[in-house]
Amino acid sequence: MGKTVFIKDTTIGGKDRTRDVYGILLGVLRERGLENNVQLVRVVDIGVYGQGVVVRVLPENFLYTHVEDADIVGIVEQSLIGGKPFAAKLVAEGARQLRIVLRNCGVIDPESIEEYIAKDGYQALAKVLSDTPEKTLQEMKTSGLRGRGGAGFPTGMKWEFTRKSPGAQKYIICNGDEGDPGAYMDRSVLEGDPHSVIEGMIIGGYAIGASKGYFYIRAEYPLAIERIEKALHQCREAGLLGKNIFGSSFSFDVEIRLGAGAFVCGEETALIASIEGKRGYPSPRPPFPSVKGLWGKPTCINNVETLANIPVILLKGGAWFAGIGTASSKGTKVFAVTGKVKNSGLVEVPMGTAIEDIVYGIGGGALAGKSVKAIQTGGPSGGVIPKEHFSTKVDYESLQQMGSIMGSGGMIVMDEDDCMPDIAKFYLGFCVDESCGKCAPCRIGGTQMLRLLTKVTEGEGTPKDLEQLEQISHAMQKASLCGLGQTAPNPVLSTLHYYRAEYDAHVKNKKCPACKCAKLVRFLIMSEKCVKCGMCFKACPVNAISGNRESGYLIDQTKCIRCGQCFEACKPRAISRS
Amino acid sequence: MEKLTKDGLEKLRQQHAAADKNYIKVGFSSCGIAAGAQEVYDVLCEEVRKHNADVEIKKCGCVGMCSAEPLVEVRVKNMPRVFYGKVDKETAIKIVEKHVGAKMLLNDRIYDMKVS
Amino acid sequence: MNKKMVEEEIREIADSWKGKEGNLIMVLHEIQNRYGYVPREVSLVLSEILDVPLARIYEVITFYHFFRLTPPGKIKISVCMGTACYLKGGAELLGELEHLLCVKPGETTKDGQFHLEVVRCLGCCGLAPVLKIKEKIYGSVKKKDIGDIIAQYSEETEAKEAV
Repeated sequence: MGKTVFIKDTTIGGKDRTRDVYGILLGVLRERGLENNVQLVRVVDIGVYGQGVVVRVLPENFLYTHVEDADIVGIVEQSLIGGKPFAAKLVAEGARQLRIVLRNCGVIDPESIEEYIAKDGYQALAKVLSDTPEKTLQEMKTSGLRGRGGAGFPTGMKWEFTRKSPGAQKYIICNGDEGDPGAYMDRSVLEGDPHSVIEGMIIGGYAIGASKGYFYIRAEYPLAIERIEKALHQCREAGLLGKNIFGSSFSFDVEIRLGAGAFVCGEETALIASIEGKRGYPSPRPPFPSVKGLWGKPTCINNVETLANIPVILLKGGAWFAGIGTASSKGTKVFAVTGKVKNSGLVEVPMGTAIEDIVYGIGGGALAGKSVKAIQTGGPSGGVIPKEHFSTKVDYESLQQMGSIMGSGGMIVMDEDDCMPDIAKFYLGFCVDESCGKCAPCRIGGTQMLRLLTKVTEGEGTPKDLEQLEQISHAMQKASLCGLGQTAPNPVLSTLHYYRAEYDAHVKNKKCPACKCAKLVRFLIMSEKCVKCGMCFKACPVNAISGNRESGYLIDQTKCIRCGQCFEACKPRAISRS
Repeated sequence: MEKLTKDGLEKLRQQHAAADKNYIKVGFSSCGIAAGAQEVYDVLCEEVRKHNADVEIKKCGCVGMCSAEPLVEVRVKNMPRVFYGKVDKETAIKIVEKHVGAKMLLNDRIYDMKVS
Repeated sequence: MNKKMVEEEIREIADSWKGKEGNLIMVLHEIQNRYGYVPREVSLVLSEILDVPLARIYEVITFYHFFRLTPPGKIKISVCMGTACYLKGGAELLGELEHLLCVKPGETTKDGQFHLEVVRCLGCCGLAPVLKIKEKIYGSVKKKDIGDIIAQYSEETEAKEAV
């Protein structure tokens, strides 16, 4: 392979010098008559951020950061001619992803069972079926895999409980009711590698002694449903579902059931009620589903990501899997890194990777011209983690210590424009909407908290309201029936804990430091900067701006609806927002 | 398809194991489709047919770089494997002409690469 | 609606789910796919066919956000209010649509053309803010683009009507 050089100026802010460096490098190559032997390429993303000019030399994959113009000759002579690293600027590759769950996503055609088989698909199933279910349970326990749906219960134990529960008929359910707004790991796996989830489910069925499985998938994911349907059909054709799989005595089949837009149905007992064709009301546990689940039979419910891990674990061995991650959390975790981040997308990293490596190293940090303020994990059940704590390593325990949770894997990045009480209100509003209404703490507590938060964000709040928010939060955590109500106050408590000053500013000074809460924002024209162009006058949708091009303009605060259009329209930035 | 046996599975695995071939993969998950993967796919197919290019066009799931969709992975022998992001019609045409045809990588379009 | 025809159609759907426990939600999904909502006449027929009390059917329909009791507009506009879209201006898009179409979320325009609704995460967070019109998803939508996007659909229906 000939040499290829990737170039990208990753400096944040300032002029992009990618083209200049490209020109200099090309000049140096021409001087040496090498311009036809080396491919120079300007790239959009080089996998490193905020490290000045970055140069990558392939096929050796030497990575150079903070490259100055003076270094270029050295790089050409050492690396391009000599094939050796240019030591002065060489850096090791930063945080990289490790793909176990997403191993086939974006690699194979999800609609082709042959391509999955070519990637060692269904080998684990064949291996498992030639041994006892106990062996599989043992292997799963060795692996230390914990449920990826949020709570992090060890999968091997869950399977064993279900296996040991008395009863001839047992069920395994794949929970694909990904309701956390802002997270879509499960959708991506179901769409990108449906067979891995199905294989995991068949293995689970064998291990717990179930003859029937159910996929419970959100109706909002039509493509995921279509691909799972296709994959199930292919499995039946190939005899991977049905009677006597691989000639063994094990028979198994799967049905799809659709969710119908109820967040609470992600909760195990509510999900079971929904599959039974009823409204998705949770019921008290115990009895746990592993004892009394679907139609009163022992049932095991696993998340999509959990199941996608299983074929790899059983093929490579539990010990191999246990070698990845931290002491208490094994393997990898897929995060949907979204919000105010440069590269929003899916990221799979080993447990124990620092938050900063995910947000800055892989996510590329904040959007142009902004700075990251915090992340939020765990969706409506989780909490925020301020940037001061970004050295935290992600695993189940450490995130809990920070007042958040692992959750299903949403990681929302927020920047300086995001207001914490407003975020808390957003999540709480979600939980109030989605509360099924069965138990009073969640139904009433949620509504009252939302009322208080609305007061706060509208500048009507008092210090007593903040106290009350905390009180109700604690009551809800203790007294709610299911996980939805117990965790709904988390976003409020964690923002109160880390950003008390921001709440105080809303309550005491009637100000929103992030200028997000419309009722607390005031737009003013600074006459000393104003060039009297009249753009704001034209932009205002409610005619709250009066004046003319000679006398200048004035905003009538009683008419202003704080839409911010004048602020955006003002070229000389003569409108202040406070 | 016949009911699979263990030997049958192994045979199938070897049969379909990745051959050393040139390919272009287009991400066909919800986000890719929303960003316009279908049009890119159609243009690529049309161009490859027109130029009779030595490359196979495939569909695949989501690689995870959702903000760069539509995403196209190109693997040509003896060249780095790269991902072109935010691919539009013009870029798709150039991918076939320049990258596959002239063995030249495109400037200002690459979002990621794989060393292998 | 012709009762006999409805009965036939419903029976066909119900039969494909016969013998499967807990089939009510799946049957309702298929009904909504066919009619766009779950009409009362259909629920009455379904109650007879499945031998399920009407109250149980309504209990399920009203619990889940996905099922509708009234016909949707011809063109459904869904604005995503997942967290990523919210942070990136989903609320502003919704405001603009409310303003342009003169409806609130959950309502249909007077001419029955557009139906506006809010959804929780379409799973395209990388393209936030996102909105969906019919089955097409629009990513990275800016407030100023909305007028043009809606205009396309208004013209489309006008053109169809002219034919």
